[in-house]
Amino acid sequence: MTMTDSATATGTLPSDPESLVSPTSAASAASAPSVSFESPVASEVGGVFDALTTTDHKRIGRLWLRSSLLMLLAVAVVGVLLRIEDINSSPDDIFAGTNNYFQFFGLYRLGMVLLVVLPLFVGLATVVVPMQVGATNIAFPRAAHGAAWLFMIGAGITVVAVLAGGGWGALDGVSPSEADAIALTLVGTALLIGAIVVASVCVATTVVSLRTPGMNLLRVPLFAWSMLVAAAVWLLTLPLALGNLVLIYFDLRGGPGEFGNIEGSDAVFAQLGWLIEQPQIYALAIPVLGVFGQVAAVVAKRRHAQHAAAMALIGFFGLLSVGGWSQPWFQGDSHDEQFVFVVFGLSVALPVLGSVAAVAATFARPGADAAAALEPSLASLERTKKLNLAGLLSVHGLAAFAAVLVLLAATVAGLVRVVQPWDLGGRTTVTAVMNLVWFAALLAGIAGIWFWAPKIAGVLLPGGLGRSAIFNIALGAVLLGGADFVSGFFGAGALAYQYSAASVSLVSVPSNENLVEVMNACAAVGALLIVLGVLAVVAAWLKPQGNTETLSDNPFGGLTLEWATPSPPPLGNFLDAPARVVSEVPLLDSVNDTEEDS
Amino acid sequence: MFTTGFKFFFGLGMALITGAVFYGYTTGGNHLGPLSMGWKGGVGEHLGYSMLFGLAFVSMSVAMFLVSFRDADPAAQAHYMGVEQIPTNSLVTASFWPVVGAFGVGAMAIGLVLHTAVFVAGLVLCAVVAVEWLMDAWSDRATGDREANRVLRNRIMAPIEIPVLGAGIVALGVLAISRILLAASKLGAVVVAGVVSVVILALAVLLVSRPRVNKNLLSATVLAVAVAVLAGGVVATVTGERDFEHHEIDLESNNPESVEAHQGE
Repeated sequence: MTMTDSATATGTLPSDPESLVSPTSAASAASAPSVSFESPVASEVGGVFDALTTTDHKRIGRLWLRSSLLMLLAVAVVGVLLRIEDINSSPDDIFAGTNNYFQFFGLYRLGMVLLVVLPLFVGLATVVVPMQVGATNIAFPRAAHGAAWLFMIGAGITVVAVLAGGGWGALDGVSPSEADAIALTLVGTALLIGAIVVASVCVATTVVSLRTPGMNLLRVPLFAWSMLVAAAVWLLTLPLALGNLVLIYFDLRGGPGEFGNIEGSDAVFAQLGWLIEQPQIYALAIPVLGVFGQVAAVVAKRRHAQHAAAMALIGFFGLLSVGGWSQPWFQGDSHDEQFVFVVFGLSVALPVLGSVAAVAATFARPGADAAAALEPSLASLERTKKLNLAGLLSVHGLAAFAAVLVLLAATVAGLVRVVQPWDLGGRTTVTAVMNLVWFAALLAGIAGIWFWAPKIAGVLLPGGLGRSAIFNIALGAVLLGGADFVSGFFGAGALAYQYSAASVSLVSVPSNENLVEVMNACAAVGALLIVLGVLAVVAAWLKPQGNTETLSDNPFGGLTLEWATPSPPPLGNFLDAPARVVSEVPLLDSVNDTEEDS
Repeated sequence: MFTTGFKFFFGLGMALITGAVFYGYTTGGNHLGPLSMGWKGGVGEHLGYSMLFGLAFVSMSVAMFLVSFRDADPAAQAHYMGVEQIPTNSLVTASFWPVVGAFGVGAMAIGLVLHTAVFVAGLVLCAVVAVEWLMDAWSDRATGDREANRVLRNRIMAPIEIPVLGAGIVALGVLAISRILLAASKLGAVVVAGVVSVVILALAVLLVSRPRVNKNLLSATVLAVAVAVLAGGVVATVTGERDFEHHEIDLESNNPESVEAHQGE
């Protein structure tokens, strides 16, 4: 057994990331491609013209990321206002009326899903996934570009329509112009969903049909795999929401008023409520497990100990999130009718726990000392279990672990919510689950942005701002989720707008109002912290650190093919065709090949 | 030739079809009904027969999908195509059409709510984008030479695009200017017509006298004029036409001499 065989067997990585040789250069001589590799034709050119005409997946991904960060800032501010309003349970202080409150309430909840989390992951995937699978571009790049613009147009229409008095229904009745604004909100929402569906098709097709030779599905990086699962789940479920919207729209414009009754009803919002409640809400968080598994292995400086198991767990998590049909809204409230819903709720924590266990196994895996692996003069390999503290404390490491912990908290809260004797349906426990899932996804998105920044924009993002963002958002998420979770046990209703709506009878009066008020104050602080965290992310994005000229191609010691590209990657991504992949960590393969050749 | 995935799902599909036929005949199917999906005779118990046949259809579809993509295995695809590496996604040429298409869909969505004209404009835009997009997609793969593809595409599309685009620009310009002329006062209309004529003449003279004029400058000038004309047209449409002389015919006497002219404000 050679040194490198030992290194491969133990799965340890070189301590110096720069020593990881690009598989494109290492093996290109041995297996020069005979056809079809289109090498980069030019470096990227900026400007408005390129933004309007580009077919490069990195530019397209950046359009998604910038749009989602902008929307995140706006939606987070709305979240703070809503939480401040909740403190005294009256929607009249800031929003001047129940209708306005309800409109922004809808904007926050549906906006977190359709304007922030989904586009954030779509953007990240659009940039990273093609490189991870060794492709020169995303599948259907023109469609991907059109989808990005459709998203921006849809977001503009939705936000403007809400500001013009629209939203997803009205509680106090509306004027004709406000009715038009509500209809505009619906078509804006439909455009958002359509854009995300098209982009999901592009991402999923890239993983399915543009993988480089040797990369079978079991060798696909965890993030790319999680995006394939997520895209499949989104493609299965989001068109149903689109169908919902079509029904509501036609009902609103002259139908019998079953769904689209906007005269003093929350029926429109309620029709879309299944999108933001468990188990469907977990569909947003599928990529969290992918980002976590991938970043954790890099942080541990070892190959993932349970790659196949991690893939299976991500698939299982995805499967459990396709359960909107089992929600009590559709099935009824009796124990028998909620059987599947309860089973989904109880099971969903398992894949998250499993993913954590798989990463723990990776950290616990004894490996040869990295320096020894690359130094033939060393007689023996020192086996070590040392933790890579620098990696753990990196922004991407912290964010990935924070994301999975918050997701774990969400699934536990969801587990408690389905336990029948407590009967927490319709309470703020439901809100706790959605908030925790949203911010777990946001943290994972931040981990991804910081981790792949050299490939997204050819920069490193500042660590200080990153840690500040993670601290604020993680603490904010815990405060928000924790406060809602506790309030739910004391009877606080999940739909705060009902406090002053016509349907007062729907309000569940808290058994301990003082405690609920304290919890509402905690939630307001949490929402404020999240805004501060988001500001830190935006500031870091606007002012990256380091010099592009001196930026390393693989600054973190990544293992997958995207780290074989230059930073920033040129058009076409790879300077040469990637060598045949023989494991899930192609860069480690190339180290072995190089050592064997020498 | 046939991949493992294909064999599995094709076999499953055949088994399900056999099962459906067997189930049909054993639950009251007659003549050729179970074999012809009810075209010649009864199929027996409808629900079970439909489910089995539906599953068979899905299995067959998946089988076709898998054999098309060679079980999504790049190595198998490369082997099938007789090359060492499957074709990577080529660099698709840059195009405005995705953005234009997105705006077209957006216009349709807004028009659906606010005004039929906007919806129709969006629809027309989407139709144009569909044609152009199809042609771009075809020409990108026409030959292995990027430049040859561009020439090929232009040879087919330019004879259509240039007249249509020209006619569209002229129609839009005429429409916008006519709105401005109708909205302006009598004297204003004369001034506007004069200014437009002079601008067109000046541009033409500039082009003829200085054929090497900076293209960016020329583009910017044309763009500015176009934006000004369009903006003027939109404003004039919103403002409405000025009041005109109204000629009323005395129908009772049917006498053309009794036409009264009324001067508006």
